[in-house]
Amino acid sequence: MMKWRVIGLEAHDAYFNMAIDEVLLERIRKKKSPATIRFYRWSPSAVSIGRFQSMAEEVNMEKCRELGIDYVRRITGGGAVYHDIKGEITYSIVAPEREFPKGIRESYKEICKPIIEGLAALNITAEFAPINDILVNGKKISGNAQTRRNGVLLQHGTILYSLDVRRMFSVLNVSQEKISDKAVKSVEERVTSVSSYGNITMNQLYAALLESFTKDKEYEFGMWATEELEEAEKLRIGLYGTRKWNLSR
Amino acid sequence: MHGVSKYKVPGGKLIEVRIDYEGSITKAEILGDFFLYPEESIADIEKSLVGVGIGEDEAAISERISKAARTRKAEMVGITSEAIAKAVKMAVK
Repeated sequence: MMKWRVIGLEAHDAYFNMAIDEVLLERIRKKKSPATIRFYRWSPSAVSIGRFQSMAEEVNMEKCRELGIDYVRRITGGGAVYHDIKGEITYSIVAPEREFPKGIRESYKEICKPIIEGLAALNITAEFAPINDILVNGKKISGNAQTRRNGVLLQHGTILYSLDVRRMFSVLNVSQEKISDKAVKSVEERVTSVSSYGNITMNQLYAALLESFTKDKEYEFGMWATEELEEAEKLRIGLYGTRKWNLSR
Repeated sequence: MHGVSKYKVPGGKLIEVRIDYEGSITKAEILGDFFLYPEESIADIEKSLVGVGIGEDEAAISERISKAARTRKAEMVGITSEAIAKAVKMAVK
């Protein structure tokens, strides 16, 4: 049975968060890093967009700068996400592809299973909604994105803890008319968060996710190796923190 | 001329196509919230659209895209070659 490394909940800036995931993809391929599950938050709060999205179209960059919110292009496809420091927990799981179902749709479902189980432990009934979402009562509570390269799979995703729709709207680029009460209401009808389902703390959510993600896995808590951090810093400065990458579309 | 279109694939993701054309396409960009592996193959798929005549039909455009994807062993999730071709036709208006 493969042994996993678990990196407990930590907070980093957007550029590091994206850089370390890519470092893991590359180092696991070279067998230099162990298969890893990590939990993290974004500090400062940030917007991440999918690999194929346009930053200018999706993100109000001026508002981000005003509020001290970072914006970054992910290595993975998918949509734009606002990652509030107090509003969500993000995970990344990186391991050889052979550990997961071959089909992309099946693997999303399999990797999303612990999220559904973690929420169930908090008495929240959630369901997988293909391709890459998890819903509670028909509302999105978790979005996930996956990539595979050279035999290694990376999936990262967020679990919404609390939702500030107005703040989210202020940094995600939607036309002014969409920031009407009606639109806010419509988002609240489509998106939900853990805190809407009882007096659950962020720590309780983390504990539930940690338990469900590690269940049936051989694992140990680990730390970043110096080399991993050095490589991530290079990528943070050389790619994810650059206008060239972030504004490439 | 510049053309832009947005097409939401039923049960899938959003595709936005931006093209420059003068009789045929001179530049193409495909954006959206879809998934494509390997991600770098987007450049080859975009390149496969350069030279497409504005009268070329959807099936022919779709085949160009499929061929570029096959060459790169690319896999699309939430979109298809046919859907991109449809968006391209929508952008040439």
